[in-house]
Amino acid sequence: MTEVVLAIVLGVLFATGTFLILRRDLVRVVWGVTIISQAANVYLITMGEIRGQVPIIGHGVEDPGTVTDPLVQALVLTAIVIGFATTAFALVLTYRVYEEHGTLDLDDVEARP
Amino acid sequence: MTTDLVVAPILVALTTAVLTLLSRRWTRLQQAVSLLGITAYAVVVAALAARVFPGTTLAYQLGDWVAPFGISLVADPLSGFMLALTAVVSVPTLAYSVRSVDDRGQRLSYHALFHFMVAGVSGAFLTGDLFNLFVWFEVMLMASYVLVVYHGDEAATGSAFTYLVLNLVGSAVMLLGVGGLYAVTGTLNMADMARRLAHAQQWNVDPAPVVGIAALLFAVFALKAGIAPFQFWVPPAYEAAPTPVSAMLAGVMKKVGVYAIIRLYFTVLAPMDLALGYGFGTGAVGILGPALLVMAAASIGVGALGAIDGDTLEELLAYSSVSQIGFIVLPIAVGAAVPDVRVLAVAAALVYALNHALAKSGLFLLAGTIREATGTTRFHELGGLAGHTPVVATAFVVGAFALIGIPPLTGFFGKLLVFDVTVQAGAGPALGIALVGAVLTIAYLSRAWTRGFWGQPTPAVSHPRVDTTLLTASAALIAAIIVLGIAFDPVYSAALDAAHAAVEPRAYVDVVLGPDAWTEHPGSDTA
Repeated sequence: MTEVVLAIVLGVLFATGTFLILRRDLVRVVWGVTIISQAANVYLITMGEIRGQVPIIGHGVEDPGTVTDPLVQALVLTAIVIGFATTAFALVLTYRVYEEHGTLDLDDVEARP
Repeated sequence: MTTDLVVAPILVALTTAVLTLLSRRWTRLQQAVSLLGITAYAVVVAALAARVFPGTTLAYQLGDWVAPFGISLVADPLSGFMLALTAVVSVPTLAYSVRSVDDRGQRLSYHALFHFMVAGVSGAFLTGDLFNLFVWFEVMLMASYVLVVYHGDEAATGSAFTYLVLNLVGSAVMLLGVGGLYAVTGTLNMADMARRLAHAQQWNVDPAPVVGIAALLFAVFALKAGIAPFQFWVPPAYEAAPTPVSAMLAGVMKKVGVYAIIRLYFTVLAPMDLALGYGFGTGAVGILGPALLVMAAASIGVGALGAIDGDTLEELLAYSSVSQIGFIVLPIAVGAAVPDVRVLAVAAALVYALNHALAKSGLFLLAGTIREATGTTRFHELGGLAGHTPVVATAFVVGAFALIGIPPLTGFFGKLLVFDVTVQAGAGPALGIALVGAVLTIAYLSRAWTRGFWGQPTPAVSHPRVDTTLLTASAALIAAIIVLGIAFDPVYSAALDAAHAAVEPRAYVDVVLGPDAWTEHPGSDTA
């Protein structure tokens, strides 16, 4: 059940992200990229097969049963940190584009040589 | 102890990056540290290459975690070849930067970013873990985002924004691919993945989804390499970036995409046994052949036409590198479709990649030298450079000949091998594409020559002030083309060793995971 919900959430996130990337406003484009990279993180989590069991195995337990894969969560942590840095840089670059071109409209930014 | 050398190139680059940040208050010292660091990098790479050639694979397990549970770094001849290429291009390019980048920029962060980029590239070549490959890609890209806007005028920030957004979307797609492969195969270690896909039944892996997921990763790598239809970020980014950065982007970073395609498809996915039907052959590689052939043809065409139409020297070179990347991946496409010529095909791609790295970086640096000397690289403001700057003109013509493929330069052997692969495979269309591409290359380079170097000198050209340091750094790369072309035998055998290592996953797997790991599986006696 959780996975069906997550699949729907993923679809909505990717759709929203793609929609925003196709906007002309630079800030919205950055939002779009951020949402898409967060969607990729949610997708990574679902790849670990969420089964509702924490991956903590007691001392001396021979058969831990079915647990959620902890590796993907480590991967997602790394991806989140990287995403944080790239988003920060994207926003700084957006500000610089605004300073130099006086506009955030992509059509006007590209029109100037 | 013996395998510690594998991690050395990354460590040297990272250490140098930190040291250049610490010494930024003393410009001279910082430059010395930076140059010393890149020289140390070249020495370490040479030492590593001496160990891995002609056919040794070394594995280093980070933190001593046993593979496949930790992250493995693997140096095989393919990694060795790519690292050597990186070192040869980086040293002259950094020497050029010390002169051409303004003092404030150097003090601020240029050197650190340059070395972080080198570290990212080296990590991507050395890692044996798919997620770790993503991380190194990000390290490399993060440095390159900043370097592209370094001298930022208005146009540069606009182009850099496109470059940034495209690569961020690429990174997200790469995460999807990596996550998907992990979900299907249950591992991120490339060697482990290769053996699980090779013995899919014993490992209880369903290989069918891998074909589609691998296609996602292929699209990302094609984006990094700038293969059509993912080529449109290339010309604006190269024109926006400072000259030495363009040289690194065209010479080294593009090759990371090509390397990743070779590594993923030929080392990891090729052992997969799954009939695709519809005339596509076997496994994920079956799709790669036809797809890459079409993309190579498109790159060669689009790039060459753009180059013929280029207004400035840099624009011409940027479009030319789209066209040349087509030549690099063309033999890979043929090798994917025809397994019999795969080794030769990968060797051809590597030789061509080496030639392109040397020639294109050299030509970018020369274009920068001309810009410094005359103040312009627009063709309608140039003319008669051959008479006023004979050394620059000679170096340019050698670089151009290398791209065209005139003996005895490395470019001749690159083209020869590409043609040889297509003929041996009996791939008529590929041969046709290569021939048309070769003619177009002659067309755009001779146009550059006649417009920029011959004819009446323009006012800009009449009193050129050629900077000797800049010229020496650029000429060093051009000289390498001649030297490696004349002494081509070792280069060719190194490329063949690298190709063997790339297409024979068994040795790779056994080194990373331990002896006989290739045939082990759950339920087997040894497991």
